[in-house]
Amino acid sequence: MSDLKFSEKGMKKYEWLLTRYPDKQAVLLPALRIAEAEFGELGIPEMKYVADLMGISPARVYGVVTFYTHFRRAGTGTFHIQVCSTLSCALRGSQELADHIAKRLGIEMGETTEDGMFSVSKVECLGSCDTAPMFQLNDNYHENLTLDDVDRIIEDCKKESARGGAR
Amino acid sequence: MSEATNPETPLVNWVLNGQPVQSPAGMTIFEAAKALETTIPNFCYHPGLTIAGNCRICMVESNRSKKPVISCSERIAEGLEIQTESPMAIEARNAVMEFQLINHPLDCPVCDKAGECDLQDYSYDHGPDRSRFDEEKNIRHTKELGPTIDIWGNRCIVCTRCVRFCDEISGTGELCVVERGDRSVVDVFPTVPIDNPLAGNVVDICPVGALISNDFKFEARIWNMRKTDSVCAGCARGCNVEVQSLDGFVKRLVPRENMEVNKWWMCDEGRYDYRYLLADERVTACTKDGEPVEDHDAHETLAHWLQDPGGTLGILVDPYITCEEAFLVEQIASHANNALVGGWKPADGTAQSFPGQFTISGEKAPNRLGVEAVLGKLVFGSQGHALRTALEKGQVSTLIVFAGFPHPDPDDAWVQAIRKAKRRAVFALQAGAWTEGAGLVIPGASPFEKDGTYANEDGRLQRVRSFHAPGDVEWSHDLQRLQAVLRIAGLRPRSLSSSAVFRELADVKKPFHGLSHSTLPATGAPLPGFIPLPVGVEGGSV
Repeated sequence: MSDLKFSEKGMKKYEWLLTRYPDKQAVLLPALRIAEAEFGELGIPEMKYVADLMGISPARVYGVVTFYTHFRRAGTGTFHIQVCSTLSCALRGSQELADHIAKRLGIEMGETTEDGMFSVSKVECLGSCDTAPMFQLNDNYHENLTLDDVDRIIEDCKKESARGGAR
Repeated sequence: MSEATNPETPLVNWVLNGQPVQSPAGMTIFEAAKALETTIPNFCYHPGLTIAGNCRICMVESNRSKKPVISCSERIAEGLEIQTESPMAIEARNAVMEFQLINHPLDCPVCDKAGECDLQDYSYDHGPDRSRFDEEKNIRHTKELGPTIDIWGNRCIVCTRCVRFCDEISGTGELCVVERGDRSVVDVFPTVPIDNPLAGNVVDICPVGALISNDFKFEARIWNMRKTDSVCAGCARGCNVEVQSLDGFVKRLVPRENMEVNKWWMCDEGRYDYRYLLADERVTACTKDGEPVEDHDAHETLAHWLQDPGGTLGILVDPYITCEEAFLVEQIASHANNALVGGWKPADGTAQSFPGQFTISGEKAPNRLGVEAVLGKLVFGSQGHALRTALEKGQVSTLIVFAGFPHPDPDDAWVQAIRKAKRRAVFALQAGAWTEGAGLVIPGASPFEKDGTYANEDGRLQRVRSFHAPGDVEWSHDLQRLQAVLRIAGLRPRSLSSSAVFRELADVKKPFHGLSHSTLPATGAPLPGFIPLPVGVEGGSV
């Protein structure tokens, strides 16, 4: 996996970012965003690449990536459902929502379906308390959810996947 | 720390537990209180690492804050009033302990840290006697982090001492905290295990039993072990160590704080290098011409050799003998009509330095300077060459060899040369090239079993002690054997303790003037003349 490398555009953006922050370490988060966009996910080789690029220890990158739930780690399904489970959503039935999704997909929270299509995880506040309960599907918010909405969204994903699109 | 030691630093008036006190400006509450002998509980604070302030156990009551403040990062100021034992401070610590114990398995009965665990101590002082936590405890990983270190994640309180150690002291940065909240735990990058020359220190600084040394795992309970303050003989650095043993077996070495030598650390090379004590090659009984003999017979034979060397007496010393043993060697040599004393030590390697200002010396010899201070500055130089030349020419009739090398690495030229002596007696740690064909082989003590003093590469004289309990050892160490031989030969009236021999040494050898075992500070003392002394210190160079 040593051929892993930012594209020219990605590298340009990374170099521009270096000029934007007083401290090189501060560039780690946006650099990981570039890596995510370029490589699709953040697995061991991808994290190692970013660490080597920035000249910091791979363990540091690993710690940062695992701290946040919003990074796409290796092995995540095509569709990543992140169910908000913090206060407002919890009061508005996020547990029921999560149970429903898990049951429908036949997996537990934090797992990925066997076909690699769906991953589902419980995350902390996504800052959308006014539209609770909600989840994030890949990069999009789905708000004011009912159980019917969930069924519809999951069906949409399956159709989209059958057409060959991921998002 | 520099503020505290600089006499120019202005003093600050503040109040600690109702007592008006003065401390140098710039100190944290924690450090100032510690200097005044008031200890505040702490997990994440370590004097050798940066301040993290994440464990919150060091909270105290301050007159400048409505809420308790963390004493490890708050600095003292004029008029500050701190209560470390007020109801508010104690309540704050109790609350922290209750949180710390929520997910802690309380598996002290099977935990290797039990007995020296901060969490255990503070739990006793501050922890609730029962849990109010009804939910299930979470489970975190238990696995190997590297060849020598295991993590028991459930015990981890995420103080990050180990992470900071790898970032700041060893500079290798293998450790990190993964995940967050109650799932967070120390881990390594999946393809980069923790494997650096100082890795073992993370086990020592872990305030709980999360990081466990593979070498010591399930070996002994802390409170059953005998603890002996000594010095590591792995290199010329002379790190201060505590040798912990059980039933006459060394179980582990841990570093002792000595700001002049090793600070709080030691290297893995020294830490795990004690197995040679039990090596198969270890010499355990005296032999004469290959046949086992009683100790007394061996001593008597050597005494006769000394009384009548039949020509030139040669003595080959190693850098593992103590200053006291070197002194007896000099006595033997001075009584002979014709004596040559020389030394040999393995070639130096390269020194390793780390960002945390810790150095592993390239010189794998614990007492070269001490031996030189007694037997002459050139003992390992031209005196050694002279002895070897004489040996090669067959001019030495009786030779005494001190071969206390833990890792036999004999030099071929020397091995050939010593065979040319007509009679050879070897004080040997291990059988091998040095002892082969020797007329007399006497078991030598390892540095862990010696009693005396070593001088490190800076010329700092430090105490070495045997880890054996008095009366535990069936056979005596080199110093006692040498004295027995000298007594039989009529060269010394009686056998004395190591301290008494040192007193004789201090009387006649200038670098040791005024020093004694009982007055030698725990941190050792510089031998004048062997290091550049700071201006204003009495002694000067020899």
